[in-house]
This record gives sequence, C-alpha cells and structure tokens, in this order.
Amino acid sequence: MDTLFIALFEILSFGAIVVLVVLGLGIIASMMGIFNFAQGEFVLLGAYITYLVHSAGLPVAVGMVAAPFAVGALGLVLERLVVRRFYAAPIVAMLGTYALGLIIRESVRGLIGGLYISVPEPIGGSITIGTLHFATWRFVIVIITALVMAGSYALLAYTSFGLRIRASLENPSLARASGISTGMIYGVTFAFGAALAGLAGALIVPVFSLFADLGIRFLIQGFVAVMVGGVGSFAGPVAGASVIGTLNAALPWVMAPVIADVLVFVLAIIFIKFRPQGLVSGRGV
Amino acid sequence: MFNSKLSRRRFLGNFAFTSAAIATGTGSWVIRPDWANAAEGPIKLGIATDLTGSLGYAGSADANVARMVVKEINDAGGLLGRPIELLIEDTASNESVAVGNVRKLIQRDKVDVVIGAITSSMRNAIKDVIVARGKTLYIYPQLYEGKECTPNLFCTGPTPAQQCDEFIPWLIKNGGKRFALPSANYVWPHTLNVYARKVIESNGGEVIFEEYYPLDQIEFSSTVSRIISNKVDVVFTTVIPPGVGPFFKQLYEAGFLKNGGRLSCVYYDENTLNLNQADEIEGLASCLDYFKALTSEDPVSAKIQAAYDKQFPGTFLFAAGSAATGTYRGLKLWEAAVKEAGKVDRDSVAAALDHAKIAEGPGGPAEMVPGKHHCKMKMYTAVSKGGNYDIVARSAGLVDPKEC
Repeated sequence: MDTLFIALFEILSFGAIVVLVVLGLGIIASMMGIFNFAQGEFVLLGAYITYLVHSAGLPVAVGMVAAPFAVGALGLVLERLVVRRFYAAPIVAMLGTYALGLIIRESVRGLIGGLYISVPEPIGGSITIGTLHFATWRFVIVIITALVMAGSYALLAYTSFGLRIRASLENPSLARASGISTGMIYGVTFAFGAALAGLAGALIVPVFSLFADLGIRFLIQGFVAVMVGGVGSFAGPVAGASVIGTLNAALPWVMAPVIADVLVFVLAIIFIKFRPQGLVSGRGV
Repeated sequence: MFNSKLSRRRFLGNFAFTSAAIATGTGSWVIRPDWANAAEGPIKLGIATDLTGSLGYAGSADANVARMVVKEINDAGGLLGRPIELLIEDTASNESVAVGNVRKLIQRDKVDVVIGAITSSMRNAIKDVIVARGKTLYIYPQLYEGKECTPNLFCTGPTPAQQCDEFIPWLIKNGGKRFALPSANYVWPHTLNVYARKVIESNGGEVIFEEYYPLDQIEFSSTVSRIISNKVDVVFTTVIPPGVGPFFKQLYEAGFLKNGGRLSCVYYDENTLNLNQADEIEGLASCLDYFKALTSEDPVSAKIQAAYDKQFPGTFLFAAGSAATGTYRGLKLWEAAVKEAGKVDRDSVAAALDHAKIAEGPGGPAEMVPGKHHCKMKMYTAVSKGGNYDIVARSAGLVDPKEC
C-alpha cells in the first residue's frame, strides 16, 4: 500500500516534468508546423541561466523567474535571424534547428567545463506522512505544470492573441489579408515556446543537476510524445506527453529498466502504426 | 537553398577542401620543447584522451598531468639526454573519432608510447591501433573492471580486487550486511559486480538486488522505492553521471540517509562531489588510490597536488576517478622503465616496465607486478563529510591487483 502511494506520486511527478518539457515543443510544432530540434537546448539554457544566477550569489528562485524571459528573448532573436527562413521547408528547418541546438549545447558544455553541477532547489527537503517521504520540490513542479498548462490553454483558446496564432496556422494568406502580421505572430509563438522550455529547464535543474546533455533525453521523449499525441492542436502533445511520461516512470516498477526504456518506444511505434493521426486529431486548441 | 545545382567546379572545390581538411587534421596540436640538442631528436610521448565530449573534464585533467610531468622531466634535463616531445590527441569521448586520431599519433607522429583512454570501450577501440597494428607500447591509466592482459599493454589504475577487497568488509562493518547493487548497463559495472558480489557474500553480507539501467537514465523512483522497502543497508552503486546525481538525491529525499543507510561508489572522487548538495551524500564512502585529503598526511602527495594546482587552477581537478593519478603513475613508471632500458624501443621498455617501481607518487609508491601488466598501489577508503572527504581507512601496504 505504501509503495503504491509512492509509485503513484513518482509517476505523477515525472509525468508532470515530461509535460512541462513537451509543452513548448508541442506549441511550436502544432501552431507553426516546425519541429524544433533546438528545444532540448532551450531547456538546457533555462537550466544554465538558473545555475548562473545561483552562482552569482542570488537566490535560485530569481534564476527560475529570469530563465523563461531570457530564453524567450533568445528564441525571438533566433526566429528572426534563422528559423523564419525555413518555414517553407520543414525538413530543412529540422536540420537548421538541430544545428542551432548543437551550437548551444557545445557552448554550454564549454562554459561549464563539461562538468555535472548540482543546483539546490528553492524549497528543499521532503514532506513526511507516516513512514513515507515525498520530495517537496516535485510537488511544486506538479503544481506549476498544472498552472502553466492552464495558462497556455487560456492564452490560446480565449485571448485575441491566441485566435491570431490559430488563424495564422490554419490559413496564413487569409490571416495576412485580414491584417494579421503572420511574421510577427510566428516570432512571438516561437519565443513563447522557447520561454516554456526555459521555464522547464529552470524547474528541473535541481532534480536532475546541470549537464550539457540534459536536453537530449527529453528532446527524444518530447518528439515521441508529440507523435503519439498528434500534431496540430494544443491538447495533442500534452496528452501524448502525459502518456509517455507515465509509461516512462511506470514501466520500471514492473520490469527491468533496460527493457522498459526500449518498450516505451516500441509501444509508441505500434500505436502510431494503428493511429497515425495521434491521440487527438484535428486542428484547433 | 537546395535548388542550386551542384556544378562540377563547385564539386571539385568542395572535394579539394574536404581532402585538405582530412589530410591536415582538425583536432590535434603539438607541444614541442624549446630545445632539441640531442642528435637523435626528442622522445615522442603520445597522449590520447577525451579532451572534449562527455568525459572532457576528466581527459583534460589527464592531459594537464602529462604536460606537468613532461615539463618536470624536460626541465631536469630530459630522458636519456633527450627531450620529451608531448603529442596530445583528442579521443572526443567517441570511439570512431578516437581511432582516426590515435592513428595519427601512431602513423604520422610515430610516437614511442601512448598513454590514455578513460572508458573500457575506448581502450578496446584504440588498443588494436596502438599495440597490434601500431607495434607501440600502450599504458591505460583508469580504474576499470580488470581482465585486460594484452601484451605490451600496461594498466596503472586500480582493479576490482584493489577497490573491493578491503572496502567491502569496511562497508559491512560500517553500514550493514544488506547490499543493493544499482548499476549502469555496460561492461565495467557488470564485471565489477561479479567480483563485488563474491566479496560481499564471502564476508557474510547478502545482495538484495542487482539491477542495470540505461546509461542516460535520470529517473530512479522505482529503484529508490525497492531500496527503502527492502531495508537495504548499503547502496553499492556503479550508476554513472548524469544519472548518479539525481539517484542520490532521490535516495536522500526518500529518507535513506536519515534511516542510517550508507552510500558507496568506487569511482567517487573530488570531481563528483559537486554532483549533489553536500548533505545529500553525507557519509558516502569511496575507495581509491588517492584523495586530496591525503595532502595533509603525505608530503609527496601534497607536493604533486600543489604543483598541479599552481599550473592548472580551474575546473579540471587532479583526482583519482578521472584517471589523473593513474596517468601520473603511468608516466613515472614509463620514465623509470626507459631509464633502466637505456633506449626507447618497445620490447626493451616493456621488459623494464614489467617490473618498474616508483618510490613517490600520488597516494604513495607503486610498482608493476612482474608478468601481470598491472600495478600494486596503496588504497584508501574515504567518507564524504560536509562536501569534503575524510580518510577513514588505509591499506597496510601496497595492494595486489590480482589480475592476469
């Protein structure tokens, strides 16, 4: 019984982490039709900025607030300089963003000397209930993920800005004819996706520590999540991320971890074979 | 941008550029001593280690050690009256890149000895290039799983026997009898665990579970839960970074340390202390050939450590787990062997290296065990306390590697 509670909490918290990481990726993929291979490195940058702020002697929480803004701003710059040239050619966009990611990753590796660095959480320790211990910071991540998810959904579904984003996705020429600056919308959407990745990186760095390859594992999981969830909507990638995150955390409880690691991908492939449009099909929010 | 046709002129241009890049090489550089008065020219020492990639922090420290030792030897008049020319190649934490770069050392530079590699997979990838086809002497400096008995290949890092024989009885006395062996899924943990299990069981302990994880796994909740619910006393782990930091953190958060559990990890040195906040790994025990804490009791270690820190202040530490001490030992043993042989051809040096001894090294003296290709050395058990190590046990003398 005790173990069941712990298992459920751990699965929930890891699922929340994957959702948080995939959110930005999913928004960029769904709303812009671009698979951003640099998304993992935006996560890494968020983590790195948090570490920088911490090593400058400021509280970690300050770094966590600063990270999404800094990464979002960088995302905007990269979109204006590089990514916008690739909208007509999604395959080239993958290569282009991959190159950007590689540059960011290796730069960070150089800056931190290839080391693995621990960053403390703003709220540490664990909550003890009877003989059970739950990590406080993981609770905080679950709560923030829920808030961010709700906020992003509201932004896309209920604001006029969200409407413009969706309009630019569905019919760019009509949107332009109606007076929407699609270029600007794309830039801001990309920056928003990058900012979410930056936030994810800032929140998970106390859990997983800072190292240059932090983004890669999440990037691959993120893509699988987007494929399983379905591209085109906001709900799709989020649903996919919950499934993949849950499977990733749950399978090692019942089988050898090495097999579980592979099985997640096998299940995803089988699923996509029978339902290529993903869990949530169609466009919209 | 892909519309433009590849013209013949452009193809030839690209082709010429690429071949020039391949011919001149990209990742190598050479450090030449300022003087070269000996008629025979310098003795060429090749270092092949991971300067970049995931193990860059360790390989860079090893290269620094080589720079330091070579400078010392050259300042003192060289070896056999000849200067040493140090050639450093990057193995880039990537075996396929490594083979090409090591081939440069062997075929282009014709080095007299190669020292380096950190992982066993790297050693296996480059040893054939060096020893078999290259007919060159090779020294592997890292702690590893043992069983490497290739002729003309010498190992100067600790073996499982050296890391377990005294350490595991200490863990049983200072932790408990119930062991868990959570491990990364590659050759070193698999082979080390076979040996560790034998020592645990012959000392009255028991292994509750032994489990392997993908190398990049960073989420360990199911493992932590098994450890807690099975009331494990000692976690003897070979999980590697990036996973090991999150793993220890989750154990700490689950109350493992509070309940009196003991962490242990035999590659943990000063570099890996930074993977966690100090209180998350309080009491973690490790067993290596050197810890920085020794500088307060051993003047030789203090001298070497101070010389290194003075020349290379910064993030690349002189630490045992990253093969820096093994590299130092390898260089000094090779120097002793060359002195005894009086020449640098492989067979003479290998014959002398087979029984080479050094009186002074990090952690104490060291000597090759004749015919065994491995090195006797002193071993120390240390426990982390507030972000540093305390030495809690020392081997009585030099510990036998028990290999080959």
